[in-house]
Amino acid sequence: MTLNIGIVGCGKIADGHVEEIQKLSCVRLVAVCDIEPILAEQLARRYSVPHWYSDFDRMLYENRLDVVHVVTPPRSHLALTKKSVEAGCHVFVEKPLAMNWEEGRSLIECVERAGRKMSINHWHKFEAPSLELTEFVASGELGEPVHIESYCGYDLADNFGRALLADRRHWIHQLPGKLFQNVLDHAINKITPFLPDEPLDIIARAYRRRPLGADDSDGIMDELRAMIFAGRVSAYLTFCSHARPAGQFLRVHGTKKTVHIDYVYRTMSVEVIQTVPSAFGRLLPPFKSSWKSLVQATRNTREFAGSRFHYFAGLNRLLSVFYQSILQDTPLPIPYAEMLLVSEIMDEISAQVYSPVVV
Amino acid sequence: MKLLVTGAAGFLGMAVVQRLLAHGRTDIRCNVRRRTDISKFDSLSRQYPNAGLEYCIGNLKYRDDAARAVRAVQVIFHVAAGMQGAPADLFLDSVVASRNLLEAVAGDRTVRIVLVSSFSVYGVARLRRGARVNEQTPLEARPEWRDAYSHAKLRQEQLFWEYQQRHGFELVVLRPGGIYGPGGGHCSSRVGLKIGNRLVDFGGRNLLPLTYVDNCAEAVVVAGTHEGAAGEVYNVHDNDLPTCREYLYAYKKHVTNVMSLRVPYFCLRLLSRLFAKYHSYSKGQLPPIFTPYKVATEWAGNHFDNSKLRSIGWRQLVTTSEGLRRSFAAFQLELESSGDVQPHIRVERKPPVVENPMKYS
Repeated sequence: MTLNIGIVGCGKIADGHVEEIQKLSCVRLVAVCDIEPILAEQLARRYSVPHWYSDFDRMLYENRLDVVHVVTPPRSHLALTKKSVEAGCHVFVEKPLAMNWEEGRSLIECVERAGRKMSINHWHKFEAPSLELTEFVASGELGEPVHIESYCGYDLADNFGRALLADRRHWIHQLPGKLFQNVLDHAINKITPFLPDEPLDIIARAYRRRPLGADDSDGIMDELRAMIFAGRVSAYLTFCSHARPAGQFLRVHGTKKTVHIDYVYRTMSVEVIQTVPSAFGRLLPPFKSSWKSLVQATRNTREFAGSRFHYFAGLNRLLSVFYQSILQDTPLPIPYAEMLLVSEIMDEISAQVYSPVVV
Repeated sequence: MKLLVTGAAGFLGMAVVQRLLAHGRTDIRCNVRRRTDISKFDSLSRQYPNAGLEYCIGNLKYRDDAARAVRAVQVIFHVAAGMQGAPADLFLDSVVASRNLLEAVAGDRTVRIVLVSSFSVYGVARLRRGARVNEQTPLEARPEWRDAYSHAKLRQEQLFWEYQQRHGFELVVLRPGGIYGPGGGHCSSRVGLKIGNRLVDFGGRNLLPLTYVDNCAEAVVVAGTHEGAAGEVYNVHDNDLPTCREYLYAYKKHVTNVMSLRVPYFCLRLLSRLFAKYHSYSKGQLPPIFTPYKVATEWAGNHFDNSKLRSIGWRQLVTTSEGLRRSFAAFQLELESSGDVQPHIRVERKPPVVENPMKYS
């Protein structure tokens, strides 16, 4: 069976969705839609999509869609998801899930009530090193998680950053957590699998590092540090838009070993207790580390040679698992509870660093 | 007569405002995106104390801002356009913004719109090498095979003609080649591609259809105010065009000694075929920069014709050698202030064979 896919929202990130959908053989992209017809038209034309619309209801009515990708700003996720599931479609939502936890919960409830499935674009979790980490943790090699550091670098001079800073009416400014809320999903969802089901204690601080008056959107803070405590596990969360290079990494400190994942270069390294005594114990580790880097580079080269090293390779894997969960009724790639936990943490961070925004 | 210049704080927009003032037009509304942009006009205001410059802050991608910008204007110089970003951003900034502007003036048959389009709307991939590009050259039939900028500019121009047919206002379209000058880009992609600190030289002896920013602005003003220009299209480039090789040689000499590697056109064609095959095989693992279509468009080499523009009285204000001199001086200052300048190790090298070695040195 082939699933018919429709996309609503034809902004920048829609390109990534289209490209990954078109690589998969079990699905067919049949229509795209945007409230702005010019954006829908350009996307359809560039990727040879058969139909494009500016009316979402019409797209649902005229096409027998199995899955709708909701790739619009978060304010419209709930309403579009409701319409999609009422039309019998499963839904794949771009992050962040919704404006806040309450909306996110309503969104999940309406999907469950309709007996449909939903997933979210937490694609970093499906990168090769993330999957390797999941296996590593399951094998018990890490021991118990003690502390996690999730670092998210950002460049405000890139296309998206420039667009939102130059435009006070950009949808980012409407989010309770503004820029942080749009970006931090990726950093938070790397931490949540390690947090025990216990009350959270979050301390968040944010500030604006770029000079005042450099742009019109002084309301945007650009640096954030947060500490999260849950039971016997702690985590640091860093959003940094000035340090270069703008990296993305995760460090998981366990009772047995420590793992470091670099999401930019797609590598995972494991730090172990040194067993060689004396000066040799200080001499050998860099050699071991170099050898491990060579192994990682070889693995990535193999991925490249096998054409599995695209920018959105993680999204491709995530979509495959999600579509298979629809076709074969297997478990969802990301549990709903995890999506809501990410929203809960984000809400608390937003509340601490920004004054409440009327939504 | 009130004139509106959109994108007035931009590279070309500022020059258009300056040329309008030089032509004695004083009642000018400058559409700028941000309040901070207004300070850019300080020196112009000092230079033309009688100028009645009015500022309209707004983003044309919002309908209310577009409506405010066009209120009570008789001539619109639509210079604003998206120059970089994701395809969706380029379409928002160029096409959606234009549609809003056109909706705002729809029904007003007395307004004249002067659109700054682009050379990139021409479909030159299927022309033979060396063919002359003029206003009769067919438009791009497969814009999606090109880059998003060309695609957006073509859609923008089509939109203007559609609205003109429907509403009957006067439309003048200018299609500039590469606009250069202080504050502009250093090297057109027609010369080659910069990879890290090196430049792969694809242009060779191809002519560069450059226009110095002041010359281009002069063309916009001359065509925009010429009575017989309504409904016409004008290609804009300077008279004495350099070749890519000449440009690169002078750039290396006067700005920074960037290392370059020459790739002949036949090699580029071959590489592009291999690249396209790999792109297809790997499902886009590397971006489709070198498709045979793009290579033929960008680096096959054409001749250019600006006689139509000259026929309505346009003249080149700044010679190419002077334009390059000013630009290179500014580029070097830019690099020095950013700390990116490579040490000027003046290795004496035999200059390439150029048509007139003294012309741009």
